[in-house]
Amino acid sequence: MEVKINKQDSNIIVEFIGRLDTPASVEASQAIEPVLADAGKTIILECKELSYISSSGLRIFLTIRKAAAAKGGKVIVRNITDDIRHVFMMTGFLNLFEIQ
Amino acid sequence: MKMKEALGNSSIRDFARGGLMLILIAALTLEATSIIQFYFSQKGIKEEARLRAESEMEATQLKILDVVDQAEAAVRNSIWIAQWCLDFPDSLPSVTRRIVTDNPVVAGSTVAMVPGYSKRRPLFSPYCHKVPGIDTLCFKSLATPEYDYPSQSWFTEPLRLGKGYWSEPYVDEGGGEMLMTTYSVPIFDRKGQAAAVLTADISLDWLTELVGGIEVYPNAFNLVISREGQLMVCPAESLVMQRTFMEMAAKAEDTTTINKLGRSMMSGRSGQIEFKQKGKRYHAFFAPVERTGWSISIFIPDSEIYGSIRRIGAFVKLLQILGIVMLILILRAVAKNQMKYKEIADKKERIENELQIARGIQMSMIPKTFPPFPERHDLDICGIIVPAKEVGGDLYDLFIRDEKLFFCIGDVSGKGVPAALVMAVTRSIFRNIAAHEDRPERIVSDMNESLSDMNESNMFVTFFCGVLDLTDGHLRYCNAGHNAPLILTTDKRSLPIFSNLPLGIISDMEFKGQERYLCYDDALFLYTDGVTEAENSAHEQFGEQRLSDVLSSRRSSIEHLKAMEEAVAAFVGDAEPSDDITMLSIHYLNDKVPEGLERHLTLHNDIQQIPRLSAFIDSIAEKAGLDSSLSMSLNLAMEEAVTNVMLYAYPKGTEGDIDVEAYISPDMLEFTISDSGMEFDPTAAPEADTSLGVEDRKIGGLGIHLVRKIMDSVTYNRENGKNHLSMTKKI
Repeated sequence: MEVKINKQDSNIIVEFIGRLDTPASVEASQAIEPVLADAGKTIILECKELSYISSSGLRIFLTIRKAAAAKGGKVIVRNITDDIRHVFMMTGFLNLFEIQ
Repeated sequence: MKMKEALGNSSIRDFARGGLMLILIAALTLEATSIIQFYFSQKGIKEEARLRAESEMEATQLKILDVVDQAEAAVRNSIWIAQWCLDFPDSLPSVTRRIVTDNPVVAGSTVAMVPGYSKRRPLFSPYCHKVPGIDTLCFKSLATPEYDYPSQSWFTEPLRLGKGYWSEPYVDEGGGEMLMTTYSVPIFDRKGQAAAVLTADISLDWLTELVGGIEVYPNAFNLVISREGQLMVCPAESLVMQRTFMEMAAKAEDTTTINKLGRSMMSGRSGQIEFKQKGKRYHAFFAPVERTGWSISIFIPDSEIYGSIRRIGAFVKLLQILGIVMLILILRAVAKNQMKYKEIADKKERIENELQIARGIQMSMIPKTFPPFPERHDLDICGIIVPAKEVGGDLYDLFIRDEKLFFCIGDVSGKGVPAALVMAVTRSIFRNIAAHEDRPERIVSDMNESLSDMNESNMFVTFFCGVLDLTDGHLRYCNAGHNAPLILTTDKRSLPIFSNLPLGIISDMEFKGQERYLCYDDALFLYTDGVTEAENSAHEQFGEQRLSDVLSSRRSSIEHLKAMEEAVAAFVGDAEPSDDITMLSIHYLNDKVPEGLERHLTLHNDIQQIPRLSAFIDSIAEKAGLDSSLSMSLNLAMEEAVTNVMLYAYPKGTEGDIDVEAYISPDMLEFTISDSGMEFDPTAAPEADTSLGVEDRKIGGLGIHLVRKIMDSVTYNRENGKNHLSMTKKI
């Protein structure tokens, strides 16, 4: 699992590469700490390379979303695969995120 | 067999020998009794013969004496008148006539004057006698020069002796002209001088008649001999007065004895004597006739005396022989019967032997050498049929073809030879079909066709057939009405089976096959209902629970079977086993099963183990031919479930294992997660509300939600201190 954070002026692009399973989420949750501090910006979660997500991964997504909501930011989930979309659907996450 | 025949023959021989012995003893006993009886009878009969002879002789003697007495009396009574007439010789003829007339026994009489006593009649002997056949008396003078009476013994002897004298028998030529004997007494005158001799003749014809009339036995003959041994009465009349007894004796075979007899008789003794003549044995009884010096003897041939007893003896012997013959016939019949019984017994034994052989043949069809494939280390197989008393119809079989283990177990309905035959047929059909068919459902349905076609006896076979791919543990199986085998993995359970109908009931039946994977160390335990339905004396059945209990700890196949056999035997106790007990244990030990094919996974309670789970699930999904999205869903659900256990079943800081098992069947995946942590039922957690907005959304509770969403069924149970979470997914 790799998490790439690319901070730009108005937005932060967080790229998830690989599997976001439970052990990966432990690392990922540390990696996104800086993102949470900047949650007032538009956060783009780039999921082109995200092949798998478990509930722990979803929790990270939700944590980011909650932080953004608190700081008036915006979260966009981009390029999710059908499988992950299915997981989002099962968990009602489709309603919580703006999916592009 | 040869040995047995020989034994049989020898016992028949013994019997025959025994029979012969019996006959011999019977014959000897009979012979001995008849000899003893014969001996005593002979003694009695001889005694009787003696008594009869003696009484006859006595009677004859009395009759003779009567005659003799009469003659003597006739003479004595006339002595006085003869004395009176001495002086008047011419009156003497009237004296003689009176004697003859008055005494019927007297055949003739004379008064013979002593020569010269009378001056007038110096020689004078007027004789009066009867002539046979003529009623009148004849008179003649004996004083003729030819006759010369003074020289005759009847004249000389009484004068010499001075008393009455019985002459030797003689044929009186010139006198009586017949065979006669004469009693003569001397007559003395008043001065005491011998003056004349007075005689009375007795014809011996009556004696012949009298003695000849004695018939003690039909072929006995009688003799009378005189003092001098002359034959007076004799069966050969020509010899009468012609021979003496001693002359005859000289010609006899046993001269000594006959001479002795002659001497005894002539000396007036009585007695008996035995001798042989011309091959015949004779008994001679003899007794004297008093006064006359005669001797009567009766000769009885041995055969006459013992004739009757010999006839009886012969008859008895005939009866004995008949008896012995009957005994032999009876013994033969008994021996035949005995042989028949022996034959029946032999036949029974042969049938039993044949049944035994049939049983042997039947058992020889069953693989009995274990390990059956000693060169293979990926299989540990052991099978057994513990036969009940009767020949039964249980079977199992196994063989390897193309790296596949074909195995089966079955139970033919009913018992005895028919079941055994059907069993043999079933086994050979299995071999035939499985030789070219890999799919168990095809094997089973083909077998069903064959068995239904020829099933006129309405017998059926419960059957389970499996084909295990030894390279990857892929087990395909098909059940036909048999009880479910047990599968031993980390735990033990019944192999899921479609029950289907037994073989041989209906043709054109569709049999559905099933499949799953076996992992390293997995085992199958196949059995017939002889195990679970084994009854003890209280008619309780061994049952599936006991069966399952015995298999609880991991053992090798042979240990399983031994343990099961012992457990059943201990349970049944003294009760007679009613059915074959058949078991087959297949222990799969292929440690080279590719990683991705492993169906069992043990994890530590560490979330870092999740990638292993992921790889495990992926391999299952791949094996099950699932697409990537379904694979991912399964991954997700399993990860959530396992993570739950890791986080909640084991309190922080405690270590524990989590077992994951996956079962693949054609239309379903089944997963079981087992752990020995705290009791934890994830299905009891409240349903997460996925409709809430961001602010209200809970961080937790999503995992079990996903499990529920993805899986078709989720069930939890706690057993033996373990949590088991089972999930199924239709595919």
